[in-house]
Amino acid sequence: MSSVQGKLVRSYWIAVALLFAADLVLIIHYTPDERSMGAVQKIFYLHLPVAINTFLACLTAFVASIAYLWQRKGWWDELAAAAARVAVQLCAVVLATGMIWGRAAWGVWWTWSPRLTFSLILFFLYVVYLVVRSSVEGRERRAIIGSVYAIIAFLDVPLVWLSARLLPDIHPGSIQLEPAMKLTLMASFVPVTLLAAGLVVTRFVLNRTSSAAANSDQANNPREIRTAPFVAGATLHGPKAIRQTGGAL
Amino acid sequence: MPLVAQQFLLLVGKDLRIEARSRQTIGLVIVLGLLIVVVLGLGLGGGAAVGFGATVVLWVAYLFSGVLCFEKTMAVERSESALAALMLTPISRGTLYLAKLTSNLALMAAVALVITPAGVLFFSFDLSAAPFTFTAVMALGIVGFAAIGTLFAAVVSSTRLQGGLLAMMIFPVALPLVIASTQLLIHQFRDGLPVGGLGLGVLVAFDAIFLTASWLMFEWVLEP
Repeated sequence: MSSVQGKLVRSYWIAVALLFAADLVLIIHYTPDERSMGAVQKIFYLHLPVAINTFLACLTAFVASIAYLWQRKGWWDELAAAAARVAVQLCAVVLATGMIWGRAAWGVWWTWSPRLTFSLILFFLYVVYLVVRSSVEGRERRAIIGSVYAIIAFLDVPLVWLSARLLPDIHPGSIQLEPAMKLTLMASFVPVTLLAAGLVVTRFVLNRTSSAAANSDQANNPREIRTAPFVAGATLHGPKAIRQTGGAL
Repeated sequence: MPLVAQQFLLLVGKDLRIEARSRQTIGLVIVLGLLIVVVLGLGLGGGAAVGFGATVVLWVAYLFSGVLCFEKTMAVERSESALAALMLTPISRGTLYLAKLTSNLALMAAVALVITPAGVLFFSFDLSAAPFTFTAVMALGIVGFAAIGTLFAAVVSSTRLQGGLLAMMIFPVALPLVIASTQLLIHQFRDGLPVGGLGLGVLVAFDAIFLTASWLMFEWVLEP
């Protein structure tokens, strides 16, 4: 990374931190307390933007996975993996803030209400995606399987949401917001979205770097390259063997 | 008869003949399902899940038996590189998927035929109010479950991943089926409400979406 890029990255994260600080000031001092729930309702200004960004991260993983299967370019898969990792992190924040809010509002840390259930299943779907990716050997195979799972997981999201609505709900249906509350909510979207985007890009760059390092290792180790076809050829069958060996098997 | 239908019947016949001769999957899966019903019955002390609550216990038994069933039917193709030979034949991957799905569904139906009466008996679940509704809802659920199970079994089998990963991949994705079907049956048997609306829509949509998506993506995950 050049020094200019380094400065830009540092400036970006400093700007995000300052925006978060300004947002906190708005939440604590500018926004009034909600009538029935009191000060604990203020967690909502973090909870909702993070929840929306979780969904955007899942959508990014879905689109990148389709693009990978379409174009077979490794960086689409690396973007999907980065977005899924951030989705898991954000979803953990949604669950944690939801539980804290639930404890204050309903007196319990957990209840099987539709929205909590939905967040929990979403969290598990993308945790499994990360576990599956880390369990598969071979970059191309990992990318294909990861992409297939990410597509299936995202297609499942609306079904999870609809099925969770069948469960009894104690969540507030809608909250009437005063203009000051609306403004704070809108303002909270800015630092949270910048944080989520920054995390996705940072993770994506890390994935690209480690992928390039793995390629470079392979190129610098000719012995591995020379022996690989013999090892693989011994167990290859079918069209792949014919494709790889030019029909010599 | 069209060529695709002939190929499909040939593949399903092959799977079912292998199973009929070896009986290596069905016995194992049925015993596992029965044990799950018994263990949950003992664990719950017969109190919490009496009556319509048995549907939840049955789903747990279906899920674990199903995972083992999908794993075993795909493992058969691994022995002596049968899958590699199958992939060399001029049969589309979509037909391979549909045939494997049908074989899995046949085995799941056999498992359900044994486990369900056991669950009904142990949990004093009175099915007489709506036996056809129960059968239809569970059948819709099992079709969706087998649709993703067949796809993920091919994934796990082709990558030689550790055991247990298949269950981890299928369970979170299958949860809408479990929620929708148990809620539908609870409303039917406890409250006497007719089956329909959102719950039924989720089951039908799940089946349609994942049958199509798995059929399209089977080609990518299959590897000799």
